[in-house]
Amino acid sequence: MMTLLTLVLCIGILISALLATYLERRVAAVISAGLVGLFASVTYVILSAPDVAMTEAAIGSGITTVIFLFALSKTKEQPDE
Amino acid sequence: MAETILNLAVIIIMIAIGLGIYRLVKGPTVVDRVIALDLLTLIAIALIVMIALVTSRFIYVDVALVYGLLSFLSVLAVARYLEKGL
Repeated sequence: MMTLLTLVLCIGILISALLATYLERRVAAVISAGLVGLFASVTYVILSAPDVAMTEAAIGSGITTVIFLFALSKTKEQPDE
Repeated sequence: MAETILNLAVIIIMIAIGLGIYRLVKGPTVVDRVIALDLLTLIAIALIVMIALVTSRFIYVDVALVYGLLSFLSVLAVARYLEKGL
């Protein structure tokens, strides 16, 4: 059961990373990059590392999205449609 | 009995992850993807608590607690950005 769950989470990481690369809208790409951190955090819990998962949840998925969006709102030269 | 119910719940959560990823891939607008992010965050919190129940290690519930405290932040930031206000 846990092997199948890890497989589903790794497929989720792969799909989110591909979407973060190929999406045209930059806000959608930032959302997909946050989802990579979310699935990686759950994978760290399965691999019995709860402290790494807690740090990943706080920084990788929470703060990084806010910082990326703040930087996107500062750059105005190429507005997304 | 309890083992069967927990395995069934993990299978249902895996189906929910698949549906959320489908909405993330398919969703035509950004708002659909924000909703998919919020949905997958809730599913991840439920999944972490379920892993804590299956493996009987209740230190994992703290991870779900931290995630639930911080998960609103990214959705709020995207909403403020879409309103041109961040």
